[in-house]
Amino acid sequence: MQAKLPETRLPRRSPKALLPILALIVGTFLLFWPARTLRSDNFVFYFPKERHIVRLEVIDGANYLPVLDVLNAVGKLSGFEEKRNSAVVWFGGSGLQLKKGDKKVKVDKRTWNLLHPVRVSNGQWMVPTDFLSSVLPEVIHQRVAYELGEKRAFIGDVKPVTFTADLEPVPNGVRLTLQFTSPVTVRTASQNGKWVVFLGDEPFEAPAHALRLQNPYLSALQFDDQDGVPKLLLTPGADGLNFYPTQSGRSKFIVEVAKPAPKLAQLPATGAAPSAAQLPAPPVPPVPPSLPAVVLDPGHGGGDPGARSRDGLVEKDVVAAWGERVRAALVATNKYRIIVTRSGDTDPGFDERAGIANDARPVAFLSLHAGNLGSKLPQLAVYTYLPSSLTEGSQETGAAMTHSGVADGRFVLLPWNELQMAHVDRSRRFAQALERQFANISGLTTSGGSVEAPVRALRNIDAPAAAVEIGSFASDVDARPLTNGTLQDQIAGAIVRALDAFLGGQG
Amino acid sequence: MSRRAKIAMFIVLGVVAAGLIYLRALGRRIFVETPLRVEQEARTKLSQVALQSQTGSTQTVMLYFPAYEQGMLVGEARQIGWASDDVDRVREVLLALIEGSHEGRARVVSPSASIRAVFLTTDGTAYVDLSSDAVSDFAPGIASETLAVYSIVDSLAANIPAVRRVKITVQGQEVDTLDGHADLTGTFVPDPARIAKAN
Repeated sequence: MQAKLPETRLPRRSPKALLPILALIVGTFLLFWPARTLRSDNFVFYFPKERHIVRLEVIDGANYLPVLDVLNAVGKLSGFEEKRNSAVVWFGGSGLQLKKGDKKVKVDKRTWNLLHPVRVSNGQWMVPTDFLSSVLPEVIHQRVAYELGEKRAFIGDVKPVTFTADLEPVPNGVRLTLQFTSPVTVRTASQNGKWVVFLGDEPFEAPAHALRLQNPYLSALQFDDQDGVPKLLLTPGADGLNFYPTQSGRSKFIVEVAKPAPKLAQLPATGAAPSAAQLPAPPVPPVPPSLPAVVLDPGHGGGDPGARSRDGLVEKDVVAAWGERVRAALVATNKYRIIVTRSGDTDPGFDERAGIANDARPVAFLSLHAGNLGSKLPQLAVYTYLPSSLTEGSQETGAAMTHSGVADGRFVLLPWNELQMAHVDRSRRFAQALERQFANISGLTTSGGSVEAPVRALRNIDAPAAAVEIGSFASDVDARPLTNGTLQDQIAGAIVRALDAFLGGQG
Repeated sequence: MSRRAKIAMFIVLGVVAAGLIYLRALGRRIFVETPLRVEQEARTKLSQVALQSQTGSTQTVMLYFPAYEQGMLVGEARQIGWASDDVDRVREVLLALIEGSHEGRARVVSPSASIRAVFLTTDGTAYVDLSSDAVSDFAPGIASETLAVYSIVDSLAANIPAVRRVKITVQGQEVDTLDGHADLTGTFVPDPARIAKAN
């Protein structure tokens, strides 16, 4: 007789208990899962007499369009059926079958393979843009002209206008000739520091990428129709240039970008007005290959106000206003191309400012600041860069590096942080020229010589560079006289003269 | 649901909740710096006071404070506690600078600043780590920041021969500038030319 063993009860697993844990873990995981939609843009459908804009989304690096919006734009939907992972769209008697995550799209009995799978984003069924050239013509029974990668498609009998652009130099400027394939009514405007050439109501086909032009007067040309209005954006190469648009015939448009015409020197008053024949012919200056660039760097901006005075003046505002006067004074000389490192109340980083400056290959760089200089007002101090890391060893290394780069005529790659080292001597000469001119302004106290300081704004500048600090923002000083326009104009004039002297002197 | 399953669920929930709380705290520490008056800094302050009061000997040192009128540093002699160790001496000189001028000169760093750490390497580089409120009451500018930096560098080098150069960090990290102007990425060598000659 066998003894009966006691029954061992195994613990039961409760699947219900695991559910909330699983949900919590999945929820936490999803919390840190990056969003798949990276950005959205516009896609334009051109028809013979109208155009529609549809939202375009970039998902996992591919362009997607909402299929219902696309079909609504090109015709009329007759039905839509949605299941958990699939959908059927009825359009003009055809049934379009879509499956989530599947590259295959069925129309009635035919199947197409798209380049990317169908997706659902924010509750909308999205198809990749190659859908336009493969499936769409079959569904709408119309011609669809679409090039992969573009953000526009032409539906039906649309002949988009194209154009050629030709750039030629003219005295003190450049001429851009646009030759269209069809008559176009052009209108121009100025927006955000760019010239805009509106190209009428015709559908246009042009590359979406900006053309970067190596030209001192016109630096970029970009076609844009993202709001459904075809236009060209022209970016001037410098501030203070004039824009002269001319419509030549119905299919040609000419733009001249030029420096403002120099004023004729005043003739001595002789009592009688000189006849036209007596007037000397205005001198025709030779067309310079490129005006020398001068970079102005008003410090701080945006969320970085810089120093504050007792009266609430903020460094970023004071130097922006002052910088504008310096810019205007330099532009008026017609000798320089002026580049300003920040426009409006923005705060590009030090490296970004240096990048802007170095790209322009300037003949001089001037950083403008305001700060505490003691109790005297107005005051100016001029600084050149003193590398803060000048230890005994690195001083020798730095000098050797600069020297070998210049003397041997070899192409030496200098570290980004040591770019200013190669210009120390010329920067000193520039600062001395500034100091001499500032000393001539009556009532202004100067530091009595340029000072070497570890000015961060100068460190990465690949050109003669100096910083000027206006003051004083001391706590016991009323700094408001620093905003005086006459004073700022005097300082701006001194900067122009200093620059002329420095550049003239360096041969 | 069995009792065991309930217990297991509560344990897992507790662990996950603790993990989330820790992640949040970590995020705050990384992205939202809370510089003021954390325990570590309070301890640093206490140790500084102890350092000042418990050293036996004293020494007359020369401290250099900014004189904006001249754009130079002006010397000010002061008797302070003098430790036997160079690292502690660096701390003592810095504390005297933080205390400020007794002759009405401009401040170098905010009085609420603390010295988080000091190191002195064998090659003579003094690493000075200041708290982030070092510039809280500071008027930024090229002149003011340059003078503040050399006030520290020249004061240390003038009184402690072992200090040949100074590297300043803030809140344990290398910073681009002191307060928007003076480049702090390098190591500063003393510059006696910035000290005004006594009359």
